[in-house]
Amino acid sequence: MTLTHLNARGEAHMVDVADKPESRREARARGRIRMQPATLALLAEGGLPKGDVLATARIAGIQAAKRTHELIPLCHALALSKVTLDFELDSAQNCVWVEAFCRLNGRTGVEMEALTAVSVACLTLYDMCKAVDKAMIIDGVQLEEKRGGRSGDFSRQATADTAPAVLDEGASLGETPIVAVRFLAELRERLGEAGTELDPAQLAVADIAGVKRALMTADPRYALLGEGRVLAACNQVMASDTTPVAPGDEVAFFPPVTGG
Amino acid sequence: MQIDIRVQQAAFDAAAMQQRLTAGRRDIGALVSFTGLVRDVNERPDVQALTLEHFPGMTEQALEAIARDAGARWPLTGVGVIHRVGRLAPGDPIVLVMVTSAHRRAAFEACDFIMDRLKTRAPFWKKEHTASGDYWVSERQSDHDDAGRWERA
Repeated sequence: MTLTHLNARGEAHMVDVADKPESRREARARGRIRMQPATLALLAEGGLPKGDVLATARIAGIQAAKRTHELIPLCHALALSKVTLDFELDSAQNCVWVEAFCRLNGRTGVEMEALTAVSVACLTLYDMCKAVDKAMIIDGVQLEEKRGGRSGDFSRQATADTAPAVLDEGASLGETPIVAVRFLAELRERLGEAGTELDPAQLAVADIAGVKRALMTADPRYALLGEGRVLAACNQVMASDTTPVAPGDEVAFFPPVTGG
Repeated sequence: MQIDIRVQQAAFDAAAMQQRLTAGRRDIGALVSFTGLVRDVNERPDVQALTLEHFPGMTEQALEAIARDAGARWPLTGVGVIHRVGRLAPGDPIVLVMVTSAHRRAAFEACDFIMDRLKTRAPFWKKEHTASGDYWVSERQSDHDDAGRWERA
């Protein structure tokens, strides 16, 4: 197997497709944007401040597919014959599924166009909804299917049956993200350590108070966190006891501040 | 609004900050600045030095948020904040807040506001070194009372 965008010297180049025969090319890609249930409900009701979210995201996705060659350096400009964008509101998983389909009769595949359409439609959904929900997550952008061309057909479904490396929905890559805990100033000196780590599974409640309780349960030294006034920050922003904490977050505990 | 935030060990130059905040502008009618110095009398009467710790990353963000809050309350053209960290001796300048505006009232009030917020919300901690030992400085109720004035207003 070779990387076609590298030439014999290993330099990036655009593949010359002039002599390739034209054939029907199709690609289908999918992705999703996860959001708060309330945001999804607003989206469904059309109650978001920027107006018709899905129609805007659809146009954005189609425009993006047509302009893929302007974004991806070695991608050819293609005269697409068909681009469709479909949205599915999924209240079970609190997300919007975005699916793009691209087709043309030509000499190169259209999977980059489909993936770009999904990505930009997701970004547009984010833009349209960010006034009410900044914590939305775009993920799972992937090629589902492609047909035509020298490299042949591809179907994620068929690949998944034979390749165990394909991960299930929601499964994480590598190790589970931890919650990093830092101690600062006098608290660090009294505890004798600058920080520790917490497995999110140890959190009964995933907020700052929950992190404190989990630490105090794990080690009696951390009783200090319950004495006097201890302030907290989550990802470097001042937090209160009820501020939510997610895997991968950094939580810092420190005494009241005394600058100036 | 121009925002100029710096956290540094080195001494600062208020004139240089003034230059940065006013260069090329003709709409500024007032410039108010506050400089805080290290005192030799604090919780104990014989402070020989103090060490300032901060939370890199969060400190800059917190100071910028305070400056933006001030900009949302008063019509300002610029806010400059320099806070020093590390070991400082009595008499050393420790913090500079400089505010520019078209009019003096906004500049005076915003400067006062920024210092009150800084003392209660920016992640800095002082450890004082005295002849009788070292200790971490405690928070003061008066600082919270001062900061509370802006919540009621």
